[in-house]
Amino acid sequence: MSVPARPRQRRSAKGARSSPAAFLVILLVTAAGAASAALLAPRPARGWVAGTAAVAWCCLALVTAVALRRVGRARRQGAAQYDELEAGRSDWRRQSAETARLVTVTLPGLAGQVREGVPAEEALARAAGPADPHLRQLAQLFAGELADAVRRATEAEAELHAVRGELMRETGQLTRLTEETLPAAITLLRGGSSADTTLGRFDWPQNTLLRDTAERVIRELAHSERRSAAAQAASAKALSRVQAKIVSMLADLRDMQDRHGEEVFGDLLRLDHSTSQLGLMTDRLALLMGGRSSRVWNKPIVMESILRGAVGRIAAYRRVRLHSSSRAAISGFAAEGVMHLLAELMDNAANFSPPIDEVHVYVEERSAGLVITIEDSGLKMSDAAMRRAEESVSGRSTDLATLQGTRLGLGVVGRLAVKYGISVNYRPSSRGGTGVVVLLPPQLVAQQRTPLVTEHPPRRTQAEPVVPAPAPAPAAEAPRPARTPAPAPAAEASPRSEVPAPRASATPGGLPVRAPGRTMAEAERGRRHPAPEPPAARREPGLARDAGTRFGAFHRSRRGAGSAPDGTAPENPGDPRHPQDRTGTHPVPTDD
Amino acid sequence: MTRGPVDIGDPDRLYMVTGGRTDADDAFDLVTLIVSECEPTAGMQSEHVRILEICRHPTALVEVAAELKLPITVVRILLGDLHDMGQISARHPRAARSVAGLPETALLQEVLHGLRNL
Repeated sequence: MSVPARPRQRRSAKGARSSPAAFLVILLVTAAGAASAALLAPRPARGWVAGTAAVAWCCLALVTAVALRRVGRARRQGAAQYDELEAGRSDWRRQSAETARLVTVTLPGLAGQVREGVPAEEALARAAGPADPHLRQLAQLFAGELADAVRRATEAEAELHAVRGELMRETGQLTRLTEETLPAAITLLRGGSSADTTLGRFDWPQNTLLRDTAERVIRELAHSERRSAAAQAASAKALSRVQAKIVSMLADLRDMQDRHGEEVFGDLLRLDHSTSQLGLMTDRLALLMGGRSSRVWNKPIVMESILRGAVGRIAAYRRVRLHSSSRAAISGFAAEGVMHLLAELMDNAANFSPPIDEVHVYVEERSAGLVITIEDSGLKMSDAAMRRAEESVSGRSTDLATLQGTRLGLGVVGRLAVKYGISVNYRPSSRGGTGVVVLLPPQLVAQQRTPLVTEHPPRRTQAEPVVPAPAPAPAAEAPRPARTPAPAPAAEASPRSEVPAPRASATPGGLPVRAPGRTMAEAERGRRHPAPEPPAARREPGLARDAGTRFGAFHRSRRGAGSAPDGTAPENPGDPRHPQDRTGTHPVPTDD
Repeated sequence: MTRGPVDIGDPDRLYMVTGGRTDADDAFDLVTLIVSECEPTAGMQSEHVRILEICRHPTALVEVAAELKLPITVVRILLGDLHDMGQISARHPRAARSVAGLPETALLQEVLHGLRNL
């Protein structure tokens, strides 16, 4: 830095030396000039000229001397100022270098050390801070603030970490609660567990807010489950009583129809129909409430009876046309379910078609099972309605919550279809309305398919011990049970069951012998058929019946028609061993 | 729930057997003799089939009713159907035999009481 200053100093020194020489030359030149002027001047004037020249030279010399001094002083000042400037410049340079070093080296190093955890003072000492006090102060401030900031950042980081961990834990608990615990608890509750059992079984979240919420939900849910289960159970129980009453009413009505004559027959049939409809409604509700059907059949039911049993339960039974020549029979365990299912579908079809149009029911036997098609000619169902109906009859959702208003029938169809593996499908009908195709799987169809004639064997074989009357599925061979269990004394004829075997039931003369308590017709049968013959074989050749048969039939018919109040006396001598036979609800075990 | 005892009947209700009709044909009385005129065909109502089978030989209406275990009124309606379709013919026994050949009703009743008292 001092290098460039040298030429200037040299130049100024040379300048300072040259100035007095110049002044000296000027004085010498002017002195020579004045002397020459005085010499050259004419004599008279020589004095004046010499005087004037001498005075002028003296003045010049004075002025020159003054000027020389001024110049010298000015030069000295200039030199001093220059030196000062140079010193300031070098100061500035040094400071700038120091600042640059501070910024580029010291502060980053300081920052790095402080960040690594070295205390601010130690880092300052290590970093050899700048000499300048201001800069040093700056570095100290910087280090202090930085250390403070680093500490705060570390704290914040730790806090964040803690909070994040807590959040993760809570989220995990919430996820577990939502995805595992609550669903499992709900399943348990639906299964009938109490709230306390459920609460005790699972691991509930630590968070009190969450735990309280979950507990409240569980308790509320348990309460509502209990309420709904209690309501269902109460309904099913009440309905089962109604069902039993309806069944016994139907039996009574059937019996009255036998006993009373033509004058009340129509009314009885109307009552019968109303009661049957009532039975359908009650069964529907009972099935929805988790109860059972009102009846269970203990024998296969032929298709014709199934269809008629189904149609008979709906209001518009006259509008239903059955087209069936099938001789298949439905196994007893499924018969009631199938009847109910068909009744619901027919009811639906009849309700949703114009009241003058008929509903047609077709039965086909296929290898896949029995196909029953119910077609109406009502309005075509919209796609959405058909989808809804399909959804209902699929039985996928058995929740009561999915029931809509009064449309309960299809829900019942869905349950029955699932229970018995029946497939129910809707399709547009060729008649313009809607068709329902019901496929009864082969396992619901009773195996033996016998000619229609033998499906109702008369009572002839009833008392034969060889005939296995209580066989589980004797479609054809089983004695036909009584339509009504004979509540009226006149129709009781209970002691028949007591007769163990056909007795020697004919006189040598060929006349029938009536055992005490047996009707003449039965005695006659016993006589004519001492061995169990196939019922079909019975009728073929000898229908030339004798008088006994006819008389027996005549008598039974008359008695059934309720003509004889006196029929009680001879028919049933009040057998005290069977008081329950009078109740009308007890079966005659092996008899019809 | 009452189970079993009352469930051994048939699901058919009588109004289904008659198709909802309650008025019987007056052409038949209890002793009218019925004879089938043809064999049962497929698709017939089962009661019709049975009537046609029972009545291959002349059979009285009461007897048919007893065999079918149906009330007289119902059987009359069913017979009326078959008669309308020409599948049975009916005749009164008196028309076939001499009236004198048949016992009196009083006598029959007397026999009946006698038999019952055996």
